[in-house]
Amino acid sequence: MENINNRKHKQKTIDQCGDNENKNEKNTTENVIQESCKNLKGDVLNYSNDKKTNKITNHIPREEKTKFLRINFEIDLLSVGLFLCGLLTRMYKLEEPKNIVFDELHYGKYVSLYMKNTFFFDSHPPLGKQLIAAVAYLAGFDGKFKFDKIGSPYPETIPLLALRFVPAFFGSLIIPASYHLMLELGLTQWTSLLAAILLLLDNALLTQSRFILMESMLLFFALFGIFCILKFRHYYSRPYTPLWFFWLSLGSVSLTCALSVKYVGFYSICLGIAIIGRDFWKLLSSSTLSDSALFVRFVVQSVTAIFISTLIYLCIFYIHLNVLYKAGPHDSIMTSAFQASLEGGLASITKGQPLLVAHGSQITLRHTHGRTCWMHSHNQVYPIRYPDKRGSSHQQQVTCYSFKDVNNWWIVKRPNKHDLVVEQPIDVINHGDVIQLVHGITSRALNSHDVAAPVSPQCQEVSCYIDYNVSMPAQNLWRVEILNKDQNGESWHTIQSLIRLIHVDTNTALKFTGRQLPDWGFHQHEVAADRIINQDDTVWNVEEHRYTKSEDQKERERELVTAEMIPTAATSLTFWEKFFELHYKMMFSGTESVQNHMYSSEPFEWPLMSRGIAYWVSSTSNAQIHLIGNLLLWYSGTIGLLIYFVLLIFYLLRRRRLCYDLDENTWEQFQLIGELFLIGYLFHYIPYFFVERTLFLHHYLPAFTFKTLLLAALIEHIHYLNTHIFKVKFFNYIFILLISLWLLSIFYVFLKFTVLCYGATPLTTNDIINLRWKDTWDFIVHKN
Amino acid sequence: MGEMAPEAANSHKSSWWLIFGAVCALTLTTRFYKIAEPDHVCWDETHFGKMGSWYINRTFFFDVHPPLGKMLIGLSGYLTGYDGTFAFDKPGDKYDNTSYLGMRVFCTALGATLIPMAFLIVEETTQSITAATFAALLILFDVGILTLTQYILLDPILLCFIMGSILGAVKVSSRRIQEFSVSWWLWLIFTGTMLACCVSVKFVGLFVVSLVGLMTTADLWKILGDMTRPVTATVKHLVARGICLIMWPVILYITFFYIHLAVLNRSGNGDGFYSSAFQSQLIGNSLHNASMPRQVAYGALITLKNHRTGGGYLHSHYHLYPENVGARQQQITTYTHKDDNNKWLIKKYNTEDTSGIVVVRSGDLVRLEHVPTKRNLHSHKEQAPITKKHFQVTGYGENGTGDANDVWRVSVVGARDGTEVTAVSSKLKFVHYLQSCVLTTSGKQLPKWAYEQQEVSCNPNLRDPNGVWNVEENVFEKLPNVSFEVYAPSFLERFLESHAVMFQGNAGLKPKEGEITSRPWQWPINYRGQFFSGSSYRVYLLGNPVIWWSNLGFLFVFVVIFACNAIRQQRGYIKSFSEANKDKLVACAWLFLGWLLHYVPFWAMGRVLYFHHYFPALLFNSMITGIIIDYLLEEIPKFFGEKFGNVVYHTLVALVLSTVVYSFYLFSPLTYGMSGPNANEPNSTMYGLKWLDTWEF
Repeated sequence: MENINNRKHKQKTIDQCGDNENKNEKNTTENVIQESCKNLKGDVLNYSNDKKTNKITNHIPREEKTKFLRINFEIDLLSVGLFLCGLLTRMYKLEEPKNIVFDELHYGKYVSLYMKNTFFFDSHPPLGKQLIAAVAYLAGFDGKFKFDKIGSPYPETIPLLALRFVPAFFGSLIIPASYHLMLELGLTQWTSLLAAILLLLDNALLTQSRFILMESMLLFFALFGIFCILKFRHYYSRPYTPLWFFWLSLGSVSLTCALSVKYVGFYSICLGIAIIGRDFWKLLSSSTLSDSALFVRFVVQSVTAIFISTLIYLCIFYIHLNVLYKAGPHDSIMTSAFQASLEGGLASITKGQPLLVAHGSQITLRHTHGRTCWMHSHNQVYPIRYPDKRGSSHQQQVTCYSFKDVNNWWIVKRPNKHDLVVEQPIDVINHGDVIQLVHGITSRALNSHDVAAPVSPQCQEVSCYIDYNVSMPAQNLWRVEILNKDQNGESWHTIQSLIRLIHVDTNTALKFTGRQLPDWGFHQHEVAADRIINQDDTVWNVEEHRYTKSEDQKERERELVTAEMIPTAATSLTFWEKFFELHYKMMFSGTESVQNHMYSSEPFEWPLMSRGIAYWVSSTSNAQIHLIGNLLLWYSGTIGLLIYFVLLIFYLLRRRRLCYDLDENTWEQFQLIGELFLIGYLFHYIPYFFVERTLFLHHYLPAFTFKTLLLAALIEHIHYLNTHIFKVKFFNYIFILLISLWLLSIFYVFLKFTVLCYGATPLTTNDIINLRWKDTWDFIVHKN
Repeated sequence: MGEMAPEAANSHKSSWWLIFGAVCALTLTTRFYKIAEPDHVCWDETHFGKMGSWYINRTFFFDVHPPLGKMLIGLSGYLTGYDGTFAFDKPGDKYDNTSYLGMRVFCTALGATLIPMAFLIVEETTQSITAATFAALLILFDVGILTLTQYILLDPILLCFIMGSILGAVKVSSRRIQEFSVSWWLWLIFTGTMLACCVSVKFVGLFVVSLVGLMTTADLWKILGDMTRPVTATVKHLVARGICLIMWPVILYITFFYIHLAVLNRSGNGDGFYSSAFQSQLIGNSLHNASMPRQVAYGALITLKNHRTGGGYLHSHYHLYPENVGARQQQITTYTHKDDNNKWLIKKYNTEDTSGIVVVRSGDLVRLEHVPTKRNLHSHKEQAPITKKHFQVTGYGENGTGDANDVWRVSVVGARDGTEVTAVSSKLKFVHYLQSCVLTTSGKQLPKWAYEQQEVSCNPNLRDPNGVWNVEENVFEKLPNVSFEVYAPSFLERFLESHAVMFQGNAGLKPKEGEITSRPWQWPINYRGQFFSGSSYRVYLLGNPVIWWSNLGFLFVFVVIFACNAIRQQRGYIKSFSEANKDKLVACAWLFLGWLLHYVPFWAMGRVLYFHHYFPALLFNSMITGIIIDYLLEEIPKFFGEKFGNVVYHTLVALVLSTVVYSFYLFSPLTYGMSGPNANEPNSTMYGLKWLDTWEF
């Protein structure tokens, strides 16, 4: 093998100064040779039930046709061993502690809601929760347990093992997956083993995999997806073969799964695309392929990948939306239409109400996007003067109220008609019609005028008009604009029509401003009229609705207070409507309470692990679970990153001056690990600097994984430098010795901190102080 | 150009001067036309005019932007006879007899330099006068840029410096200027100066710094790859640029701050944002020239100031927390004004005895007694009024005797236990002894029952960054008073503190719930403008839609052309570009990078954004358009053969020019002022021009 490489190298350096045209051809042959070498090496260790010769010929010549209906079966004992080690560490005492640990609070709750088919809202996509729910379902979990607060004990009846099984299983799979990923990159088995062991010995990964949390699934799918993409590269010279399709599809599936566990999986997808894109770019320079062949290939590749990804993603949401068909705790985030499509909840109220809003309709108007509230009015008036000395109209307040109330009812009225009873034929309100809105209880009409609103002075005040007989005429005409008239037709439908009310005199739109009124407005939300019409906060829809039957004011009031609905038919939304609404809400409701969590951290603190997260502490002893990585490993990883970076710059500068320190193969290899791991690291790390949410250490785990893989690959590179460039055997021995020592110390650190992963050992205060290696780490110590 | 015959070179030169002169003349007429109108305060002039006045009056203020832009406005006002007395209260205020014109002319003049600079940049990178002329005209005839550069704002200053930096960088890497010649050095220093100025006007200047950084790296990379030259050539370049583009700007930047801090030496409305030590340097501040004991001893009367920017003094008064808000004990708040209710007596935890002189040390257990009400600072396991995760802090006890919950452990941040606590300079944390929580203020306003002062609470998370306090006043007669001068921070400390405060201020500019802010996607499509002046003389900041929308189109065309060429090159179809086309594409690629750098980062910003943030990116986009138009003008006529080619060429030129000029004529009332009815009414002169519903003129 050495000989081949050397010869190649010489030839290469001669060619170097010449044209670059043929470069790619060489690359492909090189790839094949590289691959065959690896297989030769690998075979010594691999147990294969196939004949060796057969296997070799299977790989080397690319002219060889793949034979159908033939199964090559091989087991890599190392890989199996690693997997077992993973299972052993991850599954050990899996049911301990029998308490809710950290975010199990959320995810556990979601899983139990799956069991009950109850709709919930989460800004992360559902795959991870679905997987856990599936296993929990098989184990007979009934979802009755209330996940109320961190630390509360699980009852005996709950199948805790099943709930925690999925994350632990995927957490164990990460280790062999990384091993194969490294092999696939053309690194030696030793290096691959080293990488896998490093990941095995990280405390943070261990802790994160043992509870009902998402990261282990995310990581596995991401790594496996990248692995498939690397496999796929090997079939570059043989496009359209079954295996070519197989690996491309499997890669897309796996990466989409990563995306569907958490949206950070998107960065893994970007990495996958970057790898494929880079290869394709190189392929462009090949002179053997025609333009059309390349174009077809590009199209086939992208269409396959996009089609499969979309399909998987849609399927996951299809299941999600179909399983969760009952109304639940998070309904109010969604629009009325969505809520009404769920069983129970709003649906039981709105079922059977008339569909079309007409003259004489009694309605409640809901603010559609963002905060849930209904337009409301009550007998109180705006104060004459505000504290900042601005005046008001002193008319009746109009607000947006977040609770159901009899004062939320309004009656739709045409300006020229006075009889409110709805008679056949029904006088339906259409897009563009001008109406008045009369408040049901006080019988005053919704009005706006050129007076500054109480809290948002740039907008106009909205009130219910009281005639004080001063020179302030009623301006109570509103034009109805139906936004989605293309889907639902020109007439005003309950629940489904999204409308804007445009004040006719001033051409302003009725708007929920998002601000709260002071004491005098009972801290309800302000409603005003804004000149800027095109915004989300000016969108409203009718939620509850019925026709007025009696003309008498007293009678109407009684009707309003006592009315009950007879359900007849449910609102139904198509999958697509639900799908897009859910995504809209997931995008824009992301601003959770940005309260300072005690264990939150900033991205720049992660590489040196300044802070861990306390996951759980026993109420009786100091036994606790704390997410903290293997300090030595994290530091080495960060240093490795720097060394790689410096080496890269050094080589690049030298090459620019035409000094080729590495042979072309090694340089390719060196570049490749950088393109994969360094870029992967940056992709999964840099975006966090621009995120506004509260961040935690576990957000760094994907980046950390890439960093660790880079470290292992870098060690191989340094070993190569030792054996091929410096050629001093002594140094090499020292290096191997040092690496072994370093690995031993990593193992030692791992063992020392496992108490914080399993949380089964009661610790004394002294033990904890001994573990506190950095004074920024905050472990929990009970007093006495 | 070297091969040209002398006569051709001469005529080339004279036509260059002719075009350049015409562009300059047009620039001057459009910019200075109606410069005095409207004679009232427009839009943000209220801020920057005010800040200019403060420089003239030398009163200290706080702003999130670095000082250079405002200093220049102040200077220009000062030189043209403005005395700093006009209040600039709100937009629409009449100037009357104020001499505001000098400041406007100054800003406009800087804004006017954009156009010749764009001409020079494009001409330098593409060697094409046509491209340069188009680029310059596109900027010249954009009403948006015209509006933005006609008033007392930071933007004309910033834009001018940004273009200056690019021009310098382009000249430095130019083939036409001999490296290490005198003019090369001058351009290099010019670039460095401009970069420093950019950053000193607004921090968005950092984008252009990164662009110039990349251009420099590419330059060095090219020199390094030239095997005919030794490595030392690269090193020489590296050193030269390191000095002129890094060290020199840093020195300048610091100098600007030095001037800023030296000029503003009187107390003003910005004091409260800064630490006690900083304030002691301002004439008129109560801490100026004050004197007090250096150490804090038991029995001293002290006031405690929260170390957060704008943090108030620890405060209490004879009022209880209302029903249902924790225990009904006396309120503790922070209050930003100086008041007797801010005074506290510091006592040992176990004795009332305050005779003798015992200095408080880090790690001591202490009690704090509120002097006017004689209650101790106290905390217990009840929820704080607003921040529910924290504990409530109250005033408790009678005549200074309370219970064990009054005990706090005082520690000096970053010092070992046993360090003496000193007034002003020590940063203190008070940790509740029994609860183990840190005295802090969330900065949130309490309701009316606490007179809208700020909440004080006890945070169980001891790492609370707001839990740091310092002693500001310190009255203790047994220790000798020392002058406050000993606490005087050095320039460097003040420099760093200003930055900390600025960054905090910038991070605090978050949009509130329900507030509509301009979003980056709206900018390039000219979705919505900004009112500069209302009422009878309306000025509306809006780009010339013809230019803006075609800018986007040409941006896309450029990307397509570039990608096609790159693919063709990769496929081996193009062996070598024609020199001129290559120059144009490379120039476009750099400008495109500049556009990206000045636009994309805004997508990731959470702070309040405004329409005018897009204008630096627009300049890049217009230059790209200029070059691409020229590129297409060269390419398209080739399809028509020699006969018609010339005709087509001239038709196209005429078409482009007339469209641009005519659209400027149509939209110019936006900038030169409109009166009469709004454009949504049919009898308005602008009725036909309201192409988008979102335009509000």
